[in-house]
Amino acid sequence: MWIERKALAQEIPAAAGLEIRELCEVLASLGFPVDGVAAREGSEALDVDITANRGDAMSHRGIAREVAARLGQPLTPLPPSAPEGAPLLEVRLEAAACPVYATAVLELGPGETPESAQAFLRALEATPKKLPAVDASNELLHRYGHPTHAFDADAIRGAVSVRWARPGETITTLDGVTRSLATADLVIADEAGPIALAGVMGGDATKVSATTRRVLLESAWFDARTVRATARRHSLHTDASHRFGRGADPAMARIARDLLVLRLQTWCQARLLGAWTAGAEPQRGTAVVLEAGLLTRIAGESLDLPQAAEALQRLGCSVVATAGSLSVLPPTWRHDLNIPEDLAEEVLRLRGYEHIPSALPPLEGPPEHLAPAYLQRQALARRLAHLGFHQTVTYGFISPEADSTFAGPANPPEGRTLANPLGYEYSVLRGSLLPSLVVSAGQNARQGARQIRLFELAPTYLSGPSGPREQATLAVVWGGVLGGEDPFSPARSVQEADLAGLARDLGIQDGPAIHRLAEGLFGFEVSLAALPLPQDRIIPAFRPFSRFPAVERDLSLLVPLGLGHETLRQAMASALPADALQDLRCVDVFRHRSLPEGRQAWLMRLRFQADRTLVGAEVDGWMAAALAAAEALGASLRA
Amino acid sequence: MDQLLPPEIDVAARSFPKALAACGDLNALMRLKGAYVGREGSHAARMMDLLKAAPKEHKRELGAQINAYKQQWEEALKGRQTDLESAKKAQDALAAGWDPTLPPPVPAAGALHPLNRLMDRLVDVFRPLGFHVEEGPEVETEAHNFDGLNIPDDHPAKASSDTFYLAAHPELLLRTHTSPVQVRTLLRVAPTLAERGGIRFLAPGRVYRKDEIDPTHSPMFHQVEGMLVGHGIGMQHLKGTLEYALRTLFGPHTEIRLRPSYFPFVEPGCEVDVSCPLCGATGCRVCKGSGWVEILGAGLIHPNVLTYAGIDPTVWSGWAFGMGVERMSMMLSQTPDLRLFFENDQRFLKAMGGLD
Repeated sequence: MWIERKALAQEIPAAAGLEIRELCEVLASLGFPVDGVAAREGSEALDVDITANRGDAMSHRGIAREVAARLGQPLTPLPPSAPEGAPLLEVRLEAAACPVYATAVLELGPGETPESAQAFLRALEATPKKLPAVDASNELLHRYGHPTHAFDADAIRGAVSVRWARPGETITTLDGVTRSLATADLVIADEAGPIALAGVMGGDATKVSATTRRVLLESAWFDARTVRATARRHSLHTDASHRFGRGADPAMARIARDLLVLRLQTWCQARLLGAWTAGAEPQRGTAVVLEAGLLTRIAGESLDLPQAAEALQRLGCSVVATAGSLSVLPPTWRHDLNIPEDLAEEVLRLRGYEHIPSALPPLEGPPEHLAPAYLQRQALARRLAHLGFHQTVTYGFISPEADSTFAGPANPPEGRTLANPLGYEYSVLRGSLLPSLVVSAGQNARQGARQIRLFELAPTYLSGPSGPREQATLAVVWGGVLGGEDPFSPARSVQEADLAGLARDLGIQDGPAIHRLAEGLFGFEVSLAALPLPQDRIIPAFRPFSRFPAVERDLSLLVPLGLGHETLRQAMASALPADALQDLRCVDVFRHRSLPEGRQAWLMRLRFQADRTLVGAEVDGWMAAALAAAEALGASLRA
Repeated sequence: MDQLLPPEIDVAARSFPKALAACGDLNALMRLKGAYVGREGSHAARMMDLLKAAPKEHKRELGAQINAYKQQWEEALKGRQTDLESAKKAQDALAAGWDPTLPPPVPAAGALHPLNRLMDRLVDVFRPLGFHVEEGPEVETEAHNFDGLNIPDDHPAKASSDTFYLAAHPELLLRTHTSPVQVRTLLRVAPTLAERGGIRFLAPGRVYRKDEIDPTHSPMFHQVEGMLVGHGIGMQHLKGTLEYALRTLFGPHTEIRLRPSYFPFVEPGCEVDVSCPLCGATGCRVCKGSGWVEILGAGLIHPNVLTYAGIDPTVWSGWAFGMGVERMSMMLSQTPDLRLFFENDQRFLKAMGGLD
């Protein structure tokens, strides 16, 4: 919100002596940071950030109250209230959401909005309408924070009432939009129907124009929740609805009416025909008790209770001190002071948060461990990064088409679809991370990456009867060319086998399905539940190993195409003594048309070691047994 | 004397030193050796033939002369051979050896994502103070995301213009902050809070708000939530903890500043500024000349939040904070565009994320 510096100084003269930087610091320390300062109309306008709980501060007077309380300096007194007279028109308050409605009828004179008021409005980025009744109401809102409204009194038919809208009623508001009203909308109505949306916007039919002769003023107080609901229902967020919606000051109803009358009398020689008030200000809330103990706990040190009382009084609170506590009645403009903690904050705020001491909280119990699932993800991310993979972060929602590529039929997208997505391409909570990684891989490929190594650790979503279930998931994609970037490493393409090897490195027991995602790009995805958790036991049990020399023998076999390596390996291993066989695997594959039809050559390497020196004859026997086992599966010794 | 040997031997003897010097490699030397001292057809062989045919009285003298030549040539050849052999050895060694100026094969280097790395770092910073990590789902209930946090039921954040809701489950939404982890954790530990001696944890994670994608907005981003519940916890404990953490993160000379602010789930509430880590608080583009950078929001846990979780706020108290991970990362790295974090260009990830 814009605060014009000269206007602020009119409310709190002591602020005139502050440098702009000092003023900004004071405001920031009170909880109103200044986002920027702009030169406007020969003065400076401050862009002050006001939190949603402080509707009372949304005006020059409101900010001035805060500065005055901090500086311990007086505010400029408001002009004394004018006497009221008999109602000129019946005003009926039919809803509890409007307990007080101060009004007046004036006959307008020939004068115009003074230049000073126009400049003030321009400095706040508001546009003067050059209609004194409209500009005065607007100026008053920015200066004192209380929204008021002026109706063309001659356009009003019969009595005025403040009531809930009736089914089927409509109103054309000042912005020219005709709105269908809900019965939860509070309206000002004459006998023909609604003439204003209470606390939000006036009606077009009763608006003040250049030809208006007489005005009916409205300075009321409307329930904050009601105004918020109406503003939201009609997507109509106005200066008035912002202030009533955050809680206006009911005591300002009469005062703002008087100030508005005064302006019209001064600006355009208006003649007051009568001023009166319907209803009465709501009862003030009950006092809040602030115990010294609570204040000490929150402040971090024992604070002098009389000083705390004085600080609260400077903010407008009525304070009754008793032994060890303060009974505090907040001012009518502070709707945010409801519990003792609120009051403690006010005491600290006025004193300055910089005075809060600093201490580490004592440990009251043993620290907890990091969860195994968390440690598992940390370990995986680090392992993959050390292996040369880059961790990605992609959005959790994707397009239904992308999702359908990998999410199976057991995971229908309907249960994972957003009601209000940013767009169709972001509408489904993904059942797989792979589509997102394919996009990132493509991005890198277009940027000329020789090799693409990406992984993501994120939840995937599984549709279920009570909503999507999240599964911590790892996905890896790998593609491009390995090596070839120095004289020592020959280049070759990344292959499925590389991903299978990586999966094994990560401890994935059952090799995951390796997907061919694009030309030369492969990937896999696993639920983290399928991966080993970090070892509980940092010091594992000792496992003895042989110090006798190992014997390594190769067996070149012709095996039928289609015979699986694992099948062959197990068959051969089962024919060998388990305590001596250290390793058995295919270390080379040869396929060529010179080989018999339907055969390939596998070089099987066997490694034996035992707790004694192995003798040749013994190993020869084992090799023969291994060959026999292989032959039983259709393999033969390659000549 | 001289007439005993033919003049061509004399010529050969005189040209020998030059011919020897001209031998650039062992092959040439072997050819020269063959021509002078070889078994057949060499100058030495011819001289031996002459010796055999020479008259008896000359044999002795001629023999001495021939031996002198042969000895002279053989020694010279041997010396040259040694030189050439060692030169060849050196050459071979050079060819077979490793040139340290050639690009060596370097193991592949990957990287953690910069946002994950920053979150991990924050966890590392808080671990020594006894904080652990709590996590919660991204698909949340309205109750956990709003109600349990003292957020009024007509708060604008609940609107479908701000928060993503599930079509098939209107009560479910994508969490708009990591604060529902507070609610879940407090609800879970409430019955055993006394035995535990309170609780203190961080909750890093992904959150969603309905913002269009642009250089400073993203519908998904990350937060780190911190919370501590104990006996007699006040603002001094919040300040002390954050001072410790931010000094660990940014250096021992870092100052922090608390400013009053408002969040529904804390009371009192504050914004926390840190003395600008980039310029040492002397004023720069990042701190806009102020020397301070806004880093997180915090406060003492609102009694309603404790009460919602079944914790008696007259017995227990605590603090909480929340920080935006992207905001902090962007500000401190001066990354110009938020979208870079989700594009996942390997060059960006390597430069920004790296590894510990």
